[in-house]
Amino acid sequence: MSKTEPDKLDDTALDAMFAAARAETPEPSAGLMARILADAENLQAARDRPPRPMARPGPWARFVDGLGGWTTLAGLVTATLAGVWFGFVSPERLDTLSGGLLLADGAASYALEDILPADDGLAAFYEEGGQ
Amino acid sequence: MKMAFDARSEQSDEALLVAFGNGDRTAARALTVRLAPRVMGFAARMLGGDRHEAEDVTQEAMLRLWRVAPEWRPGEAKVSTWLYRVTSNLCTDRLRRRRGVGLDTIPEPEDERPGALAEMMQAARARALDEALAALPERQRVAVVLRHIEGRTNPEIAEVLQISVEAVESLIARGKRALAASLGQRREELGYVED
Repeated sequence: MSKTEPDKLDDTALDAMFAAARAETPEPSAGLMARILADAENLQAARDRPPRPMARPGPWARFVDGLGGWTTLAGLVTATLAGVWFGFVSPERLDTLSGGLLLADGAASYALEDILPADDGLAAFYEEGGQ
Repeated sequence: MKMAFDARSEQSDEALLVAFGNGDRTAARALTVRLAPRVMGFAARMLGGDRHEAEDVTQEAMLRLWRVAPEWRPGEAKVSTWLYRVTSNLCTDRLRRRRGVGLDTIPEPEDERPGALAEMMQAARARALDEALAALPERQRVAVVLRHIEGRTNPEIAEVLQISVEAVESLIARGKRALAASLGQRREELGYVED
């Protein structure tokens, strides 16, 4: 930089300008310092907070899992209820409900064909096959 | 804001940052006291002396420092260099948003109490320099401020701007030439009377 150009500040004058700027550098306010520290504190607190531990499954949950989960359990419950229902509806009552259609007159108990009509056909098939 | 952190004064910025990342709460205080004034000074100079905006930038830059702490890899970069780079980018973003706003909007110092003539002259020079810096292209301004006001070395400035040292030298030389020319127009006002 030429020091002789009249319209330009020389190096010395420019250095004095920089020195003035250094002396006038704004200081952070106490409020700003507090905000910066609060940010640090919040971040650290969030980091320190342990992740919520996974609850250890209880005996019932382990039992359900062992069976294959809730879907399987629902199937089991349905099957059990159906069993209870069949137990409740005794053969006599079934006969009542079916109006004697299933149990042949005078028969003391059901033959398999009474409740599984298809079995009849199967038996016929065997008979044919057996010829 | 004076605080007693003598116990920490021996530790490097990097050691403190790693300590903070590992959960040491007192390290944040030591780093804030050490680094926030530098960031604030640099931001204020970059933003034409706007104290309010400089405070926002300082808080944001420090927040980014806290966030990066757990992943900080020792020896990779200097903390202060990293912080100057973040601050420089934040200031550039703000300057781009405010582009088109004239120098008249740069606030006057809030507290200009009448004092010694020298003191008033110093404030006037600092303000004039802020105005002249504001007219420089951003990268020239970063380079000149870091070199001549913040006292950083050219290699460090090269790292901040991610350019070569030669490019930094060129930016500083051009920046100073432009400052000398624009401030030369105001030499009487700034107390540089021709003999």
